[in-house]
Amino acid sequence: MTSRTTRRWAIAGALAACLGLAAPLPAAAQQAGDTLSRIMREGVLKVGVRADYRPWGFRNPAGEFVGMEIEMAKDVAATLGVRPEFVPVVAANRMQFLAQGQIDLMIATMSDTAERRRVVGIVHPNYYSSGFNVLLPKQVTTTDWNALRGRQLCAIQGAWYNRPATERYGVEILAFTGIAEVETALRQRRCVGWLYDDNLIAVMLASGQWSDFHMPLPSQSDTPWGLAVRLDDLDKPWGRFMSGMVAHWHRSGKLLAWEKEAGIAESAFLRRMHEALKDHIQ
Amino acid sequence: MTRAPDGKAAGFALLLVVAGSAWAQAAAPAADGALTALIRWAPLIGQGFVLNVLISVIAMAVGTLLGLFLGLGQVAPSRWVARPAVAATQFFRNAPWLVLLFYCIFILPFRITLFGTTVDVPNWLRATAGLTLPVMANVSEIVRGAVQSVPSGQWEGAASLALSRRKTLWLVILPQCLKRMLPPWMNLYAILLMSTPLASIVGVEEALTMTRNALGAERRSELLIPFYGALLVAFFCACWPIALATRRLEAYAARERTG
Repeated sequence: MTSRTTRRWAIAGALAACLGLAAPLPAAAQQAGDTLSRIMREGVLKVGVRADYRPWGFRNPAGEFVGMEIEMAKDVAATLGVRPEFVPVVAANRMQFLAQGQIDLMIATMSDTAERRRVVGIVHPNYYSSGFNVLLPKQVTTTDWNALRGRQLCAIQGAWYNRPATERYGVEILAFTGIAEVETALRQRRCVGWLYDDNLIAVMLASGQWSDFHMPLPSQSDTPWGLAVRLDDLDKPWGRFMSGMVAHWHRSGKLLAWEKEAGIAESAFLRRMHEALKDHIQ
Repeated sequence: MTRAPDGKAAGFALLLVVAGSAWAQAAAPAADGALTALIRWAPLIGQGFVLNVLISVIAMAVGTLLGLFLGLGQVAPSRWVARPAVAATQFFRNAPWLVLLFYCIFILPFRITLFGTTVDVPNWLRATAGLTLPVMANVSEIVRGAVQSVPSGQWEGAASLALSRRKTLWLVILPQCLKRMLPPWMNLYAILLMSTPLASIVGVEEALTMTRNALGAERRSELLIPFYGALLVAFFCACWPIALATRRLEAYAARERTG
């Protein structure tokens, strides 16, 4: 009789454990205190970065993170005297990871839009800017976006410019998850061209591997990029500190130097910001 | 007779890689060969693959333990135990694995404070929890099926020896079930291992994620086919021996039953 009862309890316990595993637990208790002092106390800065977006954030064969945004994150950690810990994020999860508290800072090629500002705290000034353009085979010589109406363009899933390109110029998007997949589709002529970041197209054309391609159209919607902290950190010490970091990078010309190091053609935005903020006393 | 198709399978896998590399060579005379690139990235991708295996082993171990209790719960004489057990089994067996994975990644805490010490729960561990749930439900069904397939005479025999239900289960029924449960259980493991790349979608740094990162860093489209081909072969090499052993065991069990 007692064994029967124990067995029942055992099974009930196992069931409860299973269900407990699936029950919605309250999303990460937000650290109520100040994020900046917590980072200093723990000695670790958790930064969400891209691991698949060369040359801004990617991995080398040793598995280390490298790229322009990685340099920025390392500089933040060095300034605070803490150790940077990189958490790879993708466009689909970067804002959730930040809101949940898995990362305290996100530098992940995110453009600054009104919808995103409602979800995460985008730090100003912006640290970068880019527009969108199309990588086209040299046979296509049009300089008018409207000529692409109804044509199929390859693109990366979740890129911010997929929607404006569709809405404004009526192009059809064939979206892929990774850059390598898009390149393959383009080489196989599954689409007319590649809807992509204009700075990156410039990098690709400069590499010499794309000699049959060019970028004849004018760039569209130059949009600033923003690094982000949690929304409630934006006006707290952590958000203000990051604003200071970005302003300092513009003033000192560090962003221009990192951009050059990464092999990206100098962007007009960085030059303009540097000119505006640079030291007036020589 | 049974071995011939296996040989073909291995041959096909090899062909895939060779064809992939050849295609890459033809497409790109520039830069270094696909094989050189593959060797350069192999340690990193291999590291990711270890995580795939680790995730599958943990999910299988925990899922089997939970599934065993859930399966026994399904055949329990008490309605109050059996009904919830059946419901939980059916629910998790019929839920898409990817949805459970997303659920666990975004719902489970990433940081636990126990007795004053704070422990970070890594992404991959939460993904493992997500994969444990369908394993649990499938093991539960395997256990239920096996227990019910034991002839009722065994229960009656045990009862005549005045064994309690619990003793009957553990001493008489389950040992007989083991042989029947093993092939489907191994099959489930192979399916689980092949499903672990799903975790790449939620940002776990397993083999598929690492392969994509490598491709993103190389930015050479001709590497796409050989890299994914190599990944296919890696999974094949891990799963094929399991499939072979499962078939052997099934054949053995069939002989036992008939002979």
